[in-house]
Amino acid sequence: MISQSALMNSAAEARFRLQQPNSKPRATKVIAMDVAGEEIVRRLAAEAWNGATFLTASALSHGSERRADGWLRDLEGRARDLIEEVNAADVVVMIATPGGRAGAAAFIGEACSHKRVMTTALISGAGTASDEALSLTLAQLRPWSLMVVVASVDDYIPDLLTALRA
Amino acid sequence: MLRREHSDLLTQTGPDTPMGRMFRSYWIPALLAEELPENECPPVRVKLLSERLLAFRDTEGRYGLIDEFCAHRGVSLWFGRNEECGLRCPYHGWKYDVTGQCIEVPSEPEESGFREKIKLKSYPLVKRGNVLWTYMGPPEQQPPLPEWEFIMVPPKQTFATKRFQDCNWLQAMEGGIDSSHVSFLHRGDLNSDPLFKGAAGNRYNLSDSRPVFEVVESPGGLYIGARRNAEDGNYYWRITQWVMPSFTMIAPRGQHSVHGHFWIPIDDEHCWTWSYDYHPIRELTTRETAAMRAGRGIHVKYIPGTYQPLANKDNDYLMDRFAQKAGMTYSGVESIGIQDASLQESMGPIVDRTKENLVSTDNGIIMARHRLLKAVKALTDKGVVPPGVDPVHQRVRSAAVILPPDQPFKDGAREALIVRPEVAPASV
Repeated sequence: MISQSALMNSAAEARFRLQQPNSKPRATKVIAMDVAGEEIVRRLAAEAWNGATFLTASALSHGSERRADGWLRDLEGRARDLIEEVNAADVVVMIATPGGRAGAAAFIGEACSHKRVMTTALISGAGTASDEALSLTLAQLRPWSLMVVVASVDDYIPDLLTALRA
Repeated sequence: MLRREHSDLLTQTGPDTPMGRMFRSYWIPALLAEELPENECPPVRVKLLSERLLAFRDTEGRYGLIDEFCAHRGVSLWFGRNEECGLRCPYHGWKYDVTGQCIEVPSEPEESGFREKIKLKSYPLVKRGNVLWTYMGPPEQQPPLPEWEFIMVPPKQTFATKRFQDCNWLQAMEGGIDSSHVSFLHRGDLNSDPLFKGAAGNRYNLSDSRPVFEVVESPGGLYIGARRNAEDGNYYWRITQWVMPSFTMIAPRGQHSVHGHFWIPIDDEHCWTWSYDYHPIRELTTRETAAMRAGRGIHVKYIPGTYQPLANKDNDYLMDRFAQKAGMTYSGVESIGIQDASLQESMGPIVDRTKENLVSTDNGIIMARHRLLKAVKALTDKGVVPPGVDPVHQRVRSAAVILPPDQPFKDGAREALIVRPEVAPASV
């Protein structure tokens, strides 16, 4: 008798797989960590996505190190509440560049950790960066990121967001 | 998820497909040297990248990889007679040399020159290590011979096997760079497998089953790092190499041999999973090679006389529900290679990637697809030689190291990630 696996692994049987959607839309928050990251995020935001939200924390990164209100903003410059954003998120993607100050990662990471929201940090532009610049940014991101990607250029980010159904 | 057109592009490797052209940029493993063990031994049918070929070793030890079928009436030359520096079709006696050149047509006068007009397509077939390699691209673009360390060390330091896998190459390879499945599917093997157990670094794996992953682009592909906490605030890193299009080297454990894979398309619905173990500075022990032959580590047991795994889809991979329930194996399937194959084959011949729901820990897979697509486009549009062709990209090692918390691992482990002759692998 033919085994279950031999029968079911076939291309013919693949036709009978259910075609209904197997997931609901997820909420992806894409946050720029520094000024260069904000430029990337602005370009990304101009594309069509499945409800992804694009924000920036660059104000904190190049301003005061002290925690203050209003450092998380949307791309129109309006202040956004971190806790509200994290509460509504399924995944948070932090976009940084080598040598950039990613001080906001600690606040974002802490909030995500509290709400058990997955964090991915993406350092773009590493292809031409020095090890020192990369170290500086990694040191700020690693403690707060459950996944870190170091990409040579920023053309990876759209593929990442598409893969995550952002 | 991956758009269907991108999935199609990466999974189709036949002649005149973009990904097929990319695979044809590389030297790829075609056969184990043991398959053609002596001069004038029986020829072997080989299907690679959706092309039906025949490999043989002639009277003088030359290897040939030629079109499987006789140019006369289309008979399979597998039935041929391997004699006097050529393979003779048993139907009407046409004879071919290792380049596919017809060297005899008995029915035609020798003086007619007819035989010179008959030539089968052929590819070079070269022995390096215990593997016969072929290059199936344009002859004028043939790259230097492969220099993977496992084929460059002396024969007693290396061991390679291959197994038939019943699915597209990409989903098999994606399993190889999906480090996060190890803590589930292969849990238990770390403590019991003779090729893994006893390494000092295993304690970090066992004390922290939720590593943090870091994916970094490398010249030839990717470094995939799995990070766990070590003493004094440092990190224990396990760094796997992925080199395009389908080579991996898994981070070593202690003084054990180093291992990894190649995934080579047979056609779009089947592939060869190649597995190698080697040690850069010492011979493999009798006990190690015996364990590998017995299907331990990343190797498998076979149906005798074949490269078909003993546990396969026809016997439901010898699924053992009792072992699954008792925790002896996580999935109920024994052996790392078959645990992987059983699940990858269950996805169907070519998985529908438009329906998948990837998460952050899948970044290795997402980045690998991204790099492959980019390389295919660069090759197709501008003729750019893809990463991994250059032997410099092949002279790499995986590593297991302990580093300070802020150090990029490609910096801290820079020397450990390249081949250093006579130097042991960086391993914990």
